[in-house]
Amino acid sequence: MRPSWTRRVREQPWLFAGALSLALLIVNIVADPNFAAPDNWPQHLATLAPLALVAVATTPAAVSGNGGLDLSVGPLAVMCNVLLVHELIPNGFDSFWTSAPLLIAIGAAVGALNGFLTTVLRYVPVIATLCVAFVIMGVNEKVGAQSISAPDNWTSSLAESIGPVPGAAILLALPILLWLALRATAYHGNLYATGGNDVTAFSSGVNVTATRIVAFTLGGIFAAVAGIALTALVQSSQASQTTFYILVGLTALALGGTSLGGGRGGLTGAYVGAAVLFLIQTLVTTLGVRPEWINVVYGVMLVLGVVVGARAGAFSLSAILPRKATSTA
Amino acid sequence: MSQALATAGRLQRNWPLLQIFALVALFVFGMATIEGFTQGYSIRSMLILASLLALAALGQTLCFLIGSLDLSIPGMIVLGATLISELCGVHGWSLLPALAVIVAVTTAMGAFTGWVCDRFEVPSIVVSLGVGTIALGAGTVWTGARLVGSPPELIREISSGTSTTFGIGLPPIIFIWLAIAIAMAVFLHRTPAGRRLYATGANPRAAKLALIRTRRVWVGVFAFSALMSGIVGVLLAGFAGADPGIGNPYLFQGLTAVIVGGTAWAGSRGDYSHTVLGALILTVLTTILVGRGYDTADQHIVFGFLILIVVAAYGRDRRLRDRV
Repeated sequence: MRPSWTRRVREQPWLFAGALSLALLIVNIVADPNFAAPDNWPQHLATLAPLALVAVATTPAAVSGNGGLDLSVGPLAVMCNVLLVHELIPNGFDSFWTSAPLLIAIGAAVGALNGFLTTVLRYVPVIATLCVAFVIMGVNEKVGAQSISAPDNWTSSLAESIGPVPGAAILLALPILLWLALRATAYHGNLYATGGNDVTAFSSGVNVTATRIVAFTLGGIFAAVAGIALTALVQSSQASQTTFYILVGLTALALGGTSLGGGRGGLTGAYVGAAVLFLIQTLVTTLGVRPEWINVVYGVMLVLGVVVGARAGAFSLSAILPRKATSTA
Repeated sequence: MSQALATAGRLQRNWPLLQIFALVALFVFGMATIEGFTQGYSIRSMLILASLLALAALGQTLCFLIGSLDLSIPGMIVLGATLISELCGVHGWSLLPALAVIVAVTTAMGAFTGWVCDRFEVPSIVVSLGVGTIALGAGTVWTGARLVGSPPELIREISSGTSTTFGIGLPPIIFIWLAIAIAMAVFLHRTPAGRRLYATGANPRAAKLALIRTRRVWVGVFAFSALMSGIVGVLLAGFAGADPGIGNPYLFQGLTAVIVGGTAWAGSRGDYSHTVLGALILTVLTTILVGRGYDTADQHIVFGFLILIVVAAYGRDRRLRDRV
């Protein structure tokens, strides 16, 4: 007997977002036949990249369990954008080889700090990452008080094509490549073991603390890549977008059905969730809907996504409450 | 020595001693280093700011007690401010019908948040962010992103630094705040509904087994939180004028006030009097920071670190090795 569709959605929670994005893609093409023209692909991917990368950045922490909801990745991506435009490029760090590693290092450091706070210092992840988000927002407002446009720099080629390949496709593929590389190591297994049941993983000799710190660090690295993608797209500093990207990260995560319970899911959900957001955004623009509606649409998508995700058993409340309150099993 | 520490710990558990100490210390520091810190108008404006902050943090306190977070506060504040300014200032409504609409809309949206969270067992942080974004968007859609009206004079007088209450030289908002704080203390500690709220936060499953209808608690708390945010929006429209950005500072500072006050997340420890202290501490701290030339960006950074320090003292998770 073939499994029912509800069971399939339960096992692959991103299928809902997948179906939704397919439908949206068709509507987009109907509304604007030029939408799928090959010439438009680099631009589409460049618009999708910051959304998708912010969403992907929230995934490793979520997989590591313990309610690892990382609220700081959106602000962190914007911080990388603001630092690149305001500090790095004007101060001589304008080549790829000097600024990109520096941004990645900053992202990794902030991610590792999140991991340190939630594991070694045993803060509840939501509270710890919210504090880090506050601090980052302050930095963004301080450094990027005035939005300025970036002078000519290496990121602009990422919004177009590098040879035959759209630049954004490279950025979008980076997390997947890193994830696949990790699959070949013991870390991948340790991460899913930790997320599935940290006590069991700990008893079997997995270094749970290190595993979780690395998970948050990976998120920070992906967020830095998202910041680069954002800079490539807009070629200016966007400090005012900080809260918007918190919304994006959470919405894509919820739509993609990434489990906050930990130990399940992968990067697919985040990509598909972000694709839904991107397609809604383009549809709203194509149909000439007033831009004020975008907030309403995003809010509805967030609530809808989390409810559907919950039906699929992915996004459960018990996953993010402190253990004390739920340790009845 | 260790016995003294243990006694202090026990006292701190029941009384916010550290918070009172921090408030006094900050106040004395401000008095000593900033000129005019204790003058009448300065104290008055600090009290007004603290009352707005504490009222905005009231709903968040209750959300904390049941182990949830309300991120819809900025959206509801902006919605309340937009509705009062537009309905009264542009469409010529009188005050009471406009207030009735605001109460109805915010309460309904908050109740929806609570219902969705409990019905589908999904994180409140996500649902409230979604509903808050809808509220924020609905306000801008309705005004076409052009907010021109202003609230009636009566609303402005509630929080104006120059108004008086029955001849006392303080604006009405401070007395409203005081009354609400007392009512909240009675509600949380002396009524069955308050008990049910704490029980739901301490252990939702045990609360359900004790025949507490946790869904009602969730719906009630979120409806109340949204309602308070809407009302704070109305007051803010009179105090500073309506603007799509007025809500955000109250989310961040409100959260900080709750945590600094000592209400633990899902720990069922703390109450609104803690938040009142937290709001006073933050207002004095902000006044000192502003007096020394720091801007809002610096305040965000300071508040972030402040929460981390305070949370370090309590509300942390158990050690993994103790859970094996």
